[in-house]
Amino acid sequence: MSANGQPDNGPKEFTGPAAMGEPQPLRRAVIVGGNRIPFARSGGAYTKSSNQDMLTAALDGLIARFGLQDERIGEVAAGAVLKHSRDFNLTREAVLGSALSAETPAYDLQQACATGLETVLGLANKIKLGQIESAIAAGVDSASDAPIAVSEGLREVLLDLNRAKTLTQRLQVLSRLRPKDLAPDAPGTGEPRTGLSMGEHQALTTAQWNISRESQDELAFNSHRNLAAAYDSGFFDDLLTPYRGLAKDSNLRPDTTLEKLASLNPVFGKSLGAEATMTAGNSTPLTDGASTVLLASEEWAQSRDLPMLATVRDGEAAAVDFVHGKDGLLMAPAFAVPRLLARNGLTLDDFDFFEIHEAFAGTVLSTLAAWEDEEFGRTRLGLDSAFGTIDRSRLNVNGSSLAAGHPFAATGGRIVASLAKMLHAKGTVDGRPARGLISICAAGGQGVVAILEAA
Amino acid sequence: MTTAQPLILGEMPSLSKLYMNAAAQAARRRVLGAHGGSTLPDIGHEVRGVRADVGNLTAYQHLIGLTARDTLPAGYLHALTFPLAISVMNRDDFPLPVLGMVHLSNYVEQRAPVLFSDLLDIEARVENLRGHRAGTQLDVIAEIRAAGTQDIRWTGRSIYLAKGVFLPGIDKASPNSHGYGDFRPPDPTAVWQLGVDTGRAYAAVSGDFNPIHLSVLSAKALGMRRSIAHGMYLASRALADVGPVKGETFGWDVTFEAPVFLPGRVALEITTDERPGGGWQRSNYVAWNPRSGRRHFSGSVTPF
Repeated sequence: MSANGQPDNGPKEFTGPAAMGEPQPLRRAVIVGGNRIPFARSGGAYTKSSNQDMLTAALDGLIARFGLQDERIGEVAAGAVLKHSRDFNLTREAVLGSALSAETPAYDLQQACATGLETVLGLANKIKLGQIESAIAAGVDSASDAPIAVSEGLREVLLDLNRAKTLTQRLQVLSRLRPKDLAPDAPGTGEPRTGLSMGEHQALTTAQWNISRESQDELAFNSHRNLAAAYDSGFFDDLLTPYRGLAKDSNLRPDTTLEKLASLNPVFGKSLGAEATMTAGNSTPLTDGASTVLLASEEWAQSRDLPMLATVRDGEAAAVDFVHGKDGLLMAPAFAVPRLLARNGLTLDDFDFFEIHEAFAGTVLSTLAAWEDEEFGRTRLGLDSAFGTIDRSRLNVNGSSLAAGHPFAATGGRIVASLAKMLHAKGTVDGRPARGLISICAAGGQGVVAILEAA
Repeated sequence: MTTAQPLILGEMPSLSKLYMNAAAQAARRRVLGAHGGSTLPDIGHEVRGVRADVGNLTAYQHLIGLTARDTLPAGYLHALTFPLAISVMNRDDFPLPVLGMVHLSNYVEQRAPVLFSDLLDIEARVENLRGHRAGTQLDVIAEIRAAGTQDIRWTGRSIYLAKGVFLPGIDKASPNSHGYGDFRPPDPTAVWQLGVDTGRAYAAVSGDFNPIHLSVLSAKALGMRRSIAHGMYLASRALADVGPVKGETFGWDVTFEAPVFLPGRVALEITTDERPGGGWQRSNYVAWNPRSGRRHFSGSVTPF
């Protein structure tokens, strides 16, 4: 027992000082499994569910699956991109409302759409360093139950009213209120520095890389087909807990066809010089949902007889200067992946699965086009030639965001848990562990990427 | 080129009083006939020991889309000099009508950073009266110095046109083709949504309550079909969008073309020129109406 009476289930010895001058080999961080709730199109099944409701639902399922009742987890990290100010302690509140031990610490993290993957990387690093033995990485977002702020005018009046001391001062403050101040301020999808929506930004990139309408529709078609097949084969049976009557992602269209996708009208890039190619079919819809991933040290997982699906080998974040169009808003992974692979001595040929988040079909295809481009490789990546080509049959093999939907912070957890399961099933390839690459783009010109390996 | 010592004013003149006075002067001149002179007053106006109001500065910075830093933005310094410029043009010996003048272009040199706490001496004068194909134009020169010194921190040259006013002895400039037709809008790097209250909001922080910017009614009274955005509001936002790459000292120019009617959308492209070895050399900006493709303004930011 430690000083405060809580059971000491941390590392048995503090090895820090002994490591002076002699680097200690890092422990491995393993992915035990994951759980998410089905993703719902906004305005659908989860319209009235809050971020805390959905995060708790996903946590409950994870706890039930791995027997974590009353367990004190080393740390829980989660986040939401669209967050109410009252949810200042969203993750800790979800933990308190779950069956986990109330002595489980938690923190919130926010890195736009990379939030979910960043919680995995940060917690895996703590496990590798021996700071914690177990962790839950998670993410949640609701586009239906989005926070709406009062206008700047009303906000300033309310704050000044709070500071006013006398009745006269209060009346003076109130007299500043104008009818237009009562209009609410809803969150937009526009980038603050450009005023362009994410779709309009991607339309510029899609045009810059000459990505055709047909190739975008084909990627969307494959996403639906692969996700539908994964459901049919029972792939999600141990990755998902039904919630609010949904047992499958509500955006999934198993019967969609290339013809149907081709019939949709463009929604982004309509005022550009190039042909508009981005439709509601090859762009992700606004979605509600939550996902969780259970991480652990090997000792912790073994001592509880829990599965070890994969290890978190490494991760990398990158950002691009998109504000004046030097690079596309969602192109940071095109830089992060080459850096990550160089550090690990790997090439694109060393991977069995590629999970490239489908913010828009154009995002995936622009990234692949940049990697295949000689000049981009030489002038932007500092290589001798193009970075490389991926085997398309290894790309998003169980579907991705175009079919499943994309509740911003929940996408990382969805991908990590699914990929870990695929890697575990694949096992060993040519004497090495099966290996997968994750790439997630994010608002603000950011991107986070990671390598997982079968455990 | 001033030959006379500037006239020192006791305090910064009030723009609303100056506009009232200008309206009265316009009426007087209509009755008594136009001012006879074809020369500009060669005396500047100066106010000493000016300090920015920090609350007003913060409101300006947030409106323009700037982080509220302690340094005064170059566009804010223009607004600080503006009442003095109008006061010079309100003089009885100023030969052109102030109301209805069109801001054609603007050149600023930010020679050294100015902090909101700095005491400043500010001077404005007019020079270079000359013809224009559509009337008569002149330069308004403004200068900001550290109080009590000759240390110039900021200078501005604003070129104004008195449309349809032709003075005796001032030649009409030959019609130069400005080339509206040549402009082909590029893909934008940003789009601004300007609300109907954009003019009022900028008036509140800049003090420039020129009626053409305030409302449909007040603009119609002066012959515009709707209210229009302040030119320096637009140029200052473009400068803000160029970002911190420009450093603390820089040159900044803007040329205005089609006015921006409110409410409206403005598309903007910012391009960056780099030095051969890398590093920022210059930023260029151009803004246009995304529907009609008409160019609103263009300009650049260069190292000082």
